Amino acid sequence: TMKKVGEVVLLWLLILFIHNAAGEGYSPPGKPTNISCRSPEKETFTCWWKPGSDGGLPTTYALYYRKEGSQRVFECPDYKTAGKNSCFFSKNVTFVWVNYNITVVATNSRGRAFSDPVDIDVVYIVKPNPPEEVVVNVTEDKDWPFLQVSWKPPKMADTRSGWITLFYEVRLKLENKNKWEEVSAGQRKTLQIYSLRSGGTYEVQVRCKPDHGFWSEWSPSSRVKVPEYFPQERSMWILIVVFAAFILVIFIWMVYMNFHSVKRYLLPPVPGPKIKGIDKQFLKSGKSEDIFSSLVVSDFPPTTSNYEDFLVQYLEVYVPEERELIMDEGKDLQDDSFKTENSTCDNDSGRGSCDSHTLLTDKGGGDKEDGQQSDQEGSQAEADTKSQEEALEEELLACSHENLQSSNVSNEKEKVKSWPSLFSPLPQYSLSPVNRPNPPKTGQQHCLSDSLFTPNSMPSYFTQPGPSTRKGFRSNYWECSFDHKQSHPLHPQSAAHEHLQAQNDLNTAHVDYMGAPLDVHVLNVRPSEYVEVQRVSVEDGVLLHPVSPSQEDSRTLSHQTEDYSRVRVVNNDNGLLLLQRDAIEEEKSMCPYQEDVVSRASITPTLQNSATGINIALPILDEMAASGYIDTATMFGLPTH
Amino acid sequence: MAQRRISGGKLFITGEMCTATDGERAVPVNDLLDRASQRSDKMHSLSTLLTQEMDSHFPPYGRMQMPRPADCHTSALQTPNDKEQALQVSESDLMSLARSLLQAWVDPLAVLSTSAITLPHPSKSSISSKIQELQEHSKSLADGLDILSGKMGPSAQAISFLPYTGGTDLGQDRVTILNKFNFLLSCLRRDSHKIDSFLKVLRCRAAKLQPELC
Repeated sequence: TMKKVGEVVLLWLLILFIHNAAGEGYSPPGKPTNISCRSPEKETFTCWWKPGSDGGLPTTYALYYRKEGSQRVFECPDYKTAGKNSCFFSKNVTFVWVNYNITVVATNSRGRAFSDPVDIDVVYIVKPNPPEEVVVNVTEDKDWPFLQVSWKPPKMADTRSGWITLFYEVRLKLENKNKWEEVSAGQRKTLQIYSLRSGGTYEVQVRCKPDHGFWSEWSPSSRVKVPEYFPQERSMWILIVVFAAFILVIFIWMVYMNFHSVKRYLLPPVPGPKIKGIDKQFLKSGKSEDIFSSLVVSDFPPTTSNYEDFLVQYLEVYVPEERELIMDEGKDLQDDSFKTENSTCDNDSGRGSCDSHTLLTDKGGGDKEDGQQSDQEGSQAEADTKSQEEALEEELLACSHENLQSSNVSNEKEKVKSWPSLFSPLPQYSLSPVNRPNPPKTGQQHCLSDSLFTPNSMPSYFTQPGPSTRKGFRSNYWECSFDHKQSHPLHPQSAAHEHLQAQNDLNTAHVDYMGAPLDVHVLNVRPSEYVEVQRVSVEDGVLLHPVSPSQEDSRTLSHQTEDYSRVRVVNNDNGLLLLQRDAIEEEKSMCPYQEDVVSRASITPTLQNSATGINIALPILDEMAASGYIDTATMFGLPTH
Repeated sequence: MAQRRISGGKLFITGEMCTATDGERAVPVNDLLDRASQRSDKMHSLSTLLTQEMDSHFPPYGRMQMPRPADCHTSALQTPNDKEQALQVSESDLMSLARSLLQAWVDPLAVLSTSAITLPHPSKSSISSKIQELQEHSKSLADGLDILSGKMGPSAQAISFLPYTGGTDLGQDRVTILNKFNFLLSCLRRDSHKIDSFLKVLRCRAAKLQPELC
């Protein structure tokens, strides 16, 4: 049986082989597939198919089509124009808005195969040819060249009649790059492309698409080289650098012009020691012994005599025929004290530490000639009453205004040594023999006494004295003035002198005045510091000027009368507020007393703490327009009306 | 009355065709045609999208054979079949054809709109919105063509009556409904293309001021 099976199989295989060898290896063709049709211009169209297997036999393909609404079958008129496996429909056979039912049949000797039918409408399968005559130009502008691309629609597409409407698209890339940049051009046929790379080579392509259809293929690349235009950018950089340098120069110049203020802002000056009698350079030398020894002033602690000198200061108004105030000593003292610190007047210290010759050169001390009536009893209360004393003194001065006015002062100036010191609250004064009887002295006493009773109210005098205190003063003033009015005219100087003498006799207060440098002057105070009273105006007003060597000469000849200023307010620390005329007038309406106000009087601030022996730099009062505040900083060149 | 002269396939339009006044302003005809052709272009694009959207989800097994466009209710209207024929049609006739086709689709669009809401199709909402948009464009275009045809003479204003006899009901079963829908959409697609083509031909004929467009 095994043999039999083998024979059957062999026989069967033989039959098969024979069968194949007889030519039955060929099969009918395979079905054509992928029928696609395209129309480039909506006037003709072409269909392509993909043939199936040919079955080993020569296979022919035929395309048949039917148009809608008709059963008539047509065969493709042209198999050649469009190439292999294609069918070209010419204009004669091409109709739009008509459905074509197309079938491709493959035929060989073994059979035939039908493709699946495809329905097409020509208007939906439009795929134009690429645009033609693509021209790319680089503009002649050397600074910023750009590309000018232009093209023409494909030949067959009739855009002129509007039968077909095309939209265009351009793309370009650098020759060595792979990324295309696409630019839409709408229905235009030209395009400009900017922002090119200098020296680069570009490839440009164009394609088109109908309003309802497919994109065409890209046109062949057009190459163009962009010329070098980079030097322009370089010149721009040069311009930027020049401009920046210009700005930098201006900035440096501005800093140079404001160098000092900038330096001050960045590096504020460090205050240095301001100790009278101590040489800064000496300090730098580093000898401690010498330094410490210099700190110890011989005058400190002040001896009795020195104490007197520097506690008691008098404002002396001399009768011309009488003693003249000797300012020399004071000046000398002042000069001495100024020696160490004349030159140094830097920005950090107070103004008092500067050499200001407007400050009173009065170094304290009483009037030598008049005798030092004052004692040191009130020294402790000095600090409190200093300003008060000043105010009182001014008040007294004011009180004696009329006296001065009435008198005929021929002396060109009055030198006031110092303000009388209203020291103790007790009016313990005894009138020194005065040239003329002075009934108003009682009034003055009143002025003094009343004012003295308000020792603690001085701080308020700075701005606006308390009503009570003011009244006190005012009443005193009025009282005094009234009295003075009625009194017979006195020589202003003498009256003032008397007045002041009385004050001196009163010994009620001590007012210390320091020269311009406030520091150690007090220690070197001499009783011979004077305040020069100069005439301020025709009417009664006292212009008090610190005597300065330089100005003395000029002063002596300039003024003939003395004027008094009414004390308005006394600064707590320093300065006397002298009323000006206007202010006085409006205030003292009651007082018909006419006064002219000293426009300015510079009175040095008083010593704050004499015990320490070191003056504190006192602030300089600013001059107030309405109320003749004593401006200690004002120069001698004050206008004297 | 517009005077027409056919020369070499090109039509020279003179007379009133050149300018048209709209109220106080003189709006050139080519500008009006430009606007009209843009709107018809939009209409055809919408209809193309609609057919594509329908086909994307159409069950292959349920699809009938290709709808025969010859059965469209507008097939009775004689329209040019190739370029030569089209270019020989007068402007007024072109305008008349366009307006006739446009008018013929007012009712079917309404039917399509109502049917789209209940269309057994996954994309019926998108389809419905597109159909509504189509209706708007159709109405706007009809108004514009009315104005244009008024400038072109009485023959341009003649409209062929192409009634739609399909009824408001597309069918009962899903397949029937879908097939009918597809069929109507295909007819719409073609007719919108015709309208668009006619208007663009007219546009280029009147584009004396903008020759670069044509």
